Amino acid sequence: MPLEIGRVCMKVAGRESGRYCVVLKKISDAFVLVTGPKILTGVKRRKCNIEHLEALPYNLEIKEDASDEEVISAFEKANLTKKLDLKLPSAAEVKAEKEKVKPEKKTKEKKEKKK
Amino acid sequence: MMLRVKKRTPTGKVFIHLKKRKPRIARCAICKKPLHAVPRKTPSETRKLPKTKRRPERAYGGYLCSNCLKELLREGIRKRFG
Repeated sequence: MPLEIGRVCMKVAGRESGRYCVVLKKISDAFVLVTGPKILTGVKRRKCNIEHLEALPYNLEIKEDASDEEVISAFEKANLTKKLDLKLPSAAEVKAEKEKVKPEKKTKEKKEKKK
Repeated sequence: MMLRVKKRTPTGKVFIHLKKRKPRIARCAICKKPLHAVPRKTPSETRKLPKTKRRPERAYGGYLCSNCLKELLREGIRKRFG
């Protein structure tokens, strides 16, 4: 099964092995952009090697480089949640995910103090 | 657990020194190849390590090697979804 946009597949290697994800965009002949999305299957939106993916016979109708919300709604539309026994995130979880503020990177000042 | 090692001391006498044995390397449950990222420590030492240092963070980390896991996952998908 070729990897085209919207193809549902499973990551077979790496930290997220054994989890489902959706192909969003073809980056090169070896890499594709993939997302779980994170709140649904735990796979972050990231570049992934094609070797690390195993295609499933399911396909979501999403446009290229769709946002995570669109992917979740596409999952619902294709009522795949029962088949792949995924737990749909409740609205609260979705909100909490958005509000999670990323801690800013440690800036350089620390180094100057030591001198 | 302790290895008895004979040592000749400067006065010419032979003493027995007790040397700690290293436990066996962790091996994959299927292909028996040595596992990566699993330290060779006694259970008491391993218990002191942080969780992420005891085994890889992958599914079946520290039990199956990555290749066996990859095959199993692919097989599972092919069998289940055809």
